[in-house]
Amino acid sequence: MTAPQAATDAKASIEPQGGRSNPFLLMPISLFFALLAFAVLRSPNLITSAGIGSAIIVATPLILATYALMASVISGRGTVDLSIGPLIGFINVTLIQLHGAGYLGNPIAVFLYAMLAGALYQFLFSLIVIYVRVQPIIVSLSGYLALSGINLVILPRPGGMAPEFMAEWGYGTSIFSPILAILVLASAAWLLFTATAFYTHLRLMGSDERAAYTSGVPITTVRIGAHLISGCFAGLASICFTALISSGDPSQGTTYTLIAVTALVLGGASLAGGRGGVFGSALGAVNLYLITFCLSSFNFGAVQSFVTNLAYGTILVVSLLLTLLIPVIQRRIRNFSPLLYFVVLSVVVLGIILHATYDYAALGTAGLVLTDPVQMQAVLVGPLEIGVVDAGTEALRLQVAPMVFGVLILIVVAIFLRLAVGQSSRKSIGPAVTVILAGLVLASALFISQEAKRQTKDVPATEAGN
Amino acid sequence: MDTLPKLSLPARILGLCIAIVLTLIGAGFGFAQGASVQIIILSAIATMALFTWGWRYVLGQFLEDGQEATDGPTPLGRAWLAYRWPLLGLALILLAFIVLSLTVEGFFNIWNVISLIILLAILILTRTLGRQFQQNRSAFIGIMVLAGLFSVGSMNIEGFASGNNIKSMLLFASFLGIASIGQTLVALLGGLDLSIPFIIGAANVGLLYLMGLGVPPWLATILVLAIGALLGTINGLLSYKLQGQALIVTLGTGFAISGGVQIVTSIGSAYGGNVFGTVPAWLSNISAMNGTTFGLPFPPVILIWGLIALILILGLRLTVYGRFLYALGVNRTSASRVMISEMRYWVMMYTLSGFFAALTGSLLLGWSGGGFIGVGDQYLFLTLAAVVVGGTSLLGGAGGYGFTVIGVLVLQVLSSFLVGIGLNFQWQQFIFGLLILPMVALYARSPHIRTQI
Repeated sequence: MTAPQAATDAKASIEPQGGRSNPFLLMPISLFFALLAFAVLRSPNLITSAGIGSAIIVATPLILATYALMASVISGRGTVDLSIGPLIGFINVTLIQLHGAGYLGNPIAVFLYAMLAGALYQFLFSLIVIYVRVQPIIVSLSGYLALSGINLVILPRPGGMAPEFMAEWGYGTSIFSPILAILVLASAAWLLFTATAFYTHLRLMGSDERAAYTSGVPITTVRIGAHLISGCFAGLASICFTALISSGDPSQGTTYTLIAVTALVLGGASLAGGRGGVFGSALGAVNLYLITFCLSSFNFGAVQSFVTNLAYGTILVVSLLLTLLIPVIQRRIRNFSPLLYFVVLSVVVLGIILHATYDYAALGTAGLVLTDPVQMQAVLVGPLEIGVVDAGTEALRLQVAPMVFGVLILIVVAIFLRLAVGQSSRKSIGPAVTVILAGLVLASALFISQEAKRQTKDVPATEAGN
Repeated sequence: MDTLPKLSLPARILGLCIAIVLTLIGAGFGFAQGASVQIIILSAIATMALFTWGWRYVLGQFLEDGQEATDGPTPLGRAWLAYRWPLLGLALILLAFIVLSLTVEGFFNIWNVISLIILLAILILTRTLGRQFQQNRSAFIGIMVLAGLFSVGSMNIEGFASGNNIKSMLLFASFLGIASIGQTLVALLGGLDLSIPFIIGAANVGLLYLMGLGVPPWLATILVLAIGALLGTINGLLSYKLQGQALIVTLGTGFAISGGVQIVTSIGSAYGGNVFGTVPAWLSNISAMNGTTFGLPFPPVILIWGLIALILILGLRLTVYGRFLYALGVNRTSASRVMISEMRYWVMMYTLSGFFAALTGSLLLGWSGGGFIGVGDQYLFLTLAAVVVGGTSLLGGAGGYGFTVIGVLVLQVLSSFLVGIGLNFQWQQFIFGLLILPMVALYARSPHIRTQI
């Protein structure tokens, strides 16, 4: 009974972000697209090669720190590893000092060292939790204090040099950087891991440890394994962090604790254990980055950091409160599909991005970044004002209209299919959604390329006309 | 603790004799040092009473387990099984001491040897005697550690046991103690309040800002305390609604509060975040080192802390509110079955937490004399550490404010000791972190999963 059960569970969890409903992704997805649309309207240069590149560089350490936290949080018993930030800082400062002393020359040694150091610390952590049987949060509190103290001893003030091969990683001039590769590989590794029985055991143990123990799950091994994975992610996060600041910093890493916990919760994971995923965690971390990005596009003068704090706290509390609505929504919509929701919203936001990129360019207005200190009027209206529509834009709109119409039809078809299949006995419409997604991507690629061609032809013409 | 166990007659007579001898020795020393007669009489009575009570209490703990198991391993083997960890610890400490004596020049002197003996005595006492205390084991261990640290500190460090140092330790302990009240109460319910440091900082800046606006200081203080309580209420409502997310909810409200207060205070001010102004004399008297209480040379904040602690300890023990609080912490389902309103207690405890955080912020203003938003930052983890070291479980239902007082004192004496032997802040933090774990491990180990099925 249990073996086939486990097998089907494992099979189902291969695509936990797919057809299986995970309504807790509703909130991070909505927030992500709302923030993305806002960010693009505020400063269209986010969607350029350099813009996305720098976003990846800045957000990756946070995303990986959230992964590291997630791996241990899923294991239950209220394991919120407060020491994850100081651990990242610890690997960072020891890496810098060892490099300064002449060790750790080549990349392989650096990666091995970082991941081993993280794994070793987490191994110790799990042993204490298992055998000394102290509450994990106390162990992590203890680790937080000890590590953030020893970091300052190892490297009293920021400084040092990152290994040479990391030097240009932190520039963020293009999308495809080694940092992106690390991020993609780490996410893929977690997704592969979700296909194993070990992951099923981990989730079972996280949601009910007694049930797991009585049904023969080796909880000791599973807990140690979860912590080892968390340690490896912490090592990767530390490498990305080192590349970002390209030096050592004893106190900066410590701040990652609170941000990573926040990102994890924003991403829909449960701090009590048993629920959490790589998709939600990444979205939560990116959301936090986008919040800071949006706020930094305003100029509040001396109170900038205070406004950031205020907005940060408010968004956190409000989005937590909104999760209270999820049971209500769930009662209405049975088979919520995060993927479909994602696709629908991404189409809408794609439209906004195109609007921001092309319309603003066509209007010839400068960027909307405010230069004066706070003006309530400008804050409220700024993101939405378009200005006078000229003939060129009018023509562009006419040309775009069929495209928009086509996209809308596609959305309608998708929703229709979704409902139709949802009403029938089949559980998943993954293939259908994937086909539509591919169609949309192709259509938008075609559209963008044509648009680019047209623009190169048109711009001189309109200039001549003016 | 309700009824002291009965002792046999010889044991009682022996105890009385020792008590009298001790009292006589104390009195003799008093007269030799030329102290005033009243003090000698008072201390003699105190010695006598304390010793008699302690004798009966401690000896009584041993009387319970009369029967010995007859089968099983040999007595030596049983002793090894029962005491292997303290024995290993003893061996480790001895080893460390020998290594240190061999490597560090001048380490082997009389004071260090005495410190070592005290350390060993504490370890043995906590493991042998501590076994007998079922109810208040963490308090016992805390007091032992406190006594050991204090005696080691006063032997090794010049001026450690001087009146001034004790006064300053108590002063800082009372700030931390008042800040930890909220954390303790909330932890008894099984929640957490991470907004405490932010409310402390916000109250600190906000109070000075209000005074700068021309609001009378007493009104400003009341306003700040009321706002603190209001924020606490919001925290309570939110974290009751979002069960299990208390950690992150209070963190979020904390960020929002500190950001909001800073925005308000920096409107029309050129210095972002810092507020300048004058603190009224009575406020700085309350919490400055050279303050006086009714003419006595110690700052009133210590007295305030003592009074609050007394009220809280008695209140938690004796009043129906206190008992209901424990009932909710232990098992909320059964508590709500007997008509205890869960929401009311959550909101109440978080309100108290916000109120006391605001109080700490206001008192810290009197101490520092200038508003600074980051003044409470260190309390984020220190309040948690004080609660945990004292022995209040973060899962709720076990512990109390008396334990937290011990935890606060241990942390304060430890940090004073570390400063005294010349360690700077980062080493202190490191050692804090390393010490929390074994201290908690001595009394707060959760049972194995096998026993929970």
